Amino acid sequence: MTASQQPAPMQPTAAPPARTLEAVLARVLQAGTYLSMALIAIGTVLFLAAGGSPLDAGPSLDVGRIASDVLALRPAGFLWLGVLAVLATPMLRVLGALVGFARGGEWRMVGVAAAIVIVVAIGIAAGLLTG
Amino acid sequence: MEVGLLMLVGGVAAGLFGSLLGLGGGLLIVPLLSIGFGVPLREAVGVSLVCVIVTSSASAGVFLERRQARLRLGMILELFTATGAIAGGLLAFLLDERMLAGLFAAVLLYVAFTMVRRGTRAEESEPELSTGHGPLAGTRNVPLGLVGSVAAGIVSALLGVGGGIVKVPVMHLIMGVPLRVATATSNLMIGITASASAFVYVLRGGIDVAAVGPTAVGVFIGATIGSQYGGKVGQRLLRWLFVGVLLFTAFEMTRRALAL
Repeated sequence: MTASQQPAPMQPTAAPPARTLEAVLARVLQAGTYLSMALIAIGTVLFLAAGGSPLDAGPSLDVGRIASDVLALRPAGFLWLGVLAVLATPMLRVLGALVGFARGGEWRMVGVAAAIVIVVAIGIAAGLLTG
Repeated sequence: MEVGLLMLVGGVAAGLFGSLLGLGGGLLIVPLLSIGFGVPLREAVGVSLVCVIVTSSASAGVFLERRQARLRLGMILELFTATGAIAGGLLAFLLDERMLAGLFAAVLLYVAFTMVRRGTRAEESEPELSTGHGPLAGTRNVPLGLVGSVAAGIVSALLGVGGGIVKVPVMHLIMGVPLRVATATSNLMIGITASASAFVYVLRGGIDVAAVGPTAVGVFIGATIGSQYGGKVGQRLLRWLFVGVLLFTAFEMTRRALAL
């Protein structure tokens, strides 16, 4: 039977899931960093090319305008999207870890990851309420 | 344009040292911006927090892959650092700038003193950390470590430093984690610690993206270079670089606090 002739694994599957999880999270962090840095670099070049100085007060955050600013190649859109991507990257790492722990049945660590998400959400709420 | 390039170069230097020392670079970014470029201190802290997250994410990826950072230990501690960071983020807007500078100097001096005093003894004979079972395997004084983590979060948010200056000594000196592992794990934790308070700063209008741009790009370049060499720099050199940076920054911040 051809099915029985499928190449069998040379070794028993000894690799712990944790190793894979850490490699995946490393990729999440790296991808988030490259993406946010690319956005901030583009925004900075556009900002400086338009005669802006880093010591001037920069554009303030207007979440509703980010998409249109990016499409119109305005520096504010790239800079703010980049900054928000920077802030979101560690959160993505925590969410990724949460999923990984759940798959591995590490329920105590799932609780820790969920608690971190809640704490950061409280921080966002506190910023919105006092801002 | 020149100012932008100077900020970029300063960012490269801060990112390089931050990554090598597990500090997130904030210790250098805040003085760079506030003393070097005259940016108001609280604004410099906001910019620094963004840069510190970049440093953390860039180098933590490498440290995770190398198994140098302990993911589970870091996540347990960062639950406490993030809680402290939010408290600190709110507190930062209530404090006077000179008081912030004074706090900055005091924290730096304290950590430098601790590192020098305990320095040479454990240096040559650091035991390999047991990677046994459980996220807290091979650690001691866990409750004190958790309290120290909350303090690290508050300091991070107040001073824009990522909190590595507190987290590394807490893990190394209190919890018995080897310095190299403590540095790598601190690097991982800095991201979520700083982003918890950075959200507070962003939503309160405390982050200036014009200054973030060149500084963050520079820090990223420096951190990328630094993370490639982090495991290759000797313990002794690492420790004395750490102390040297602390003392220099403490001196500058004291001058600011006293308005000299």
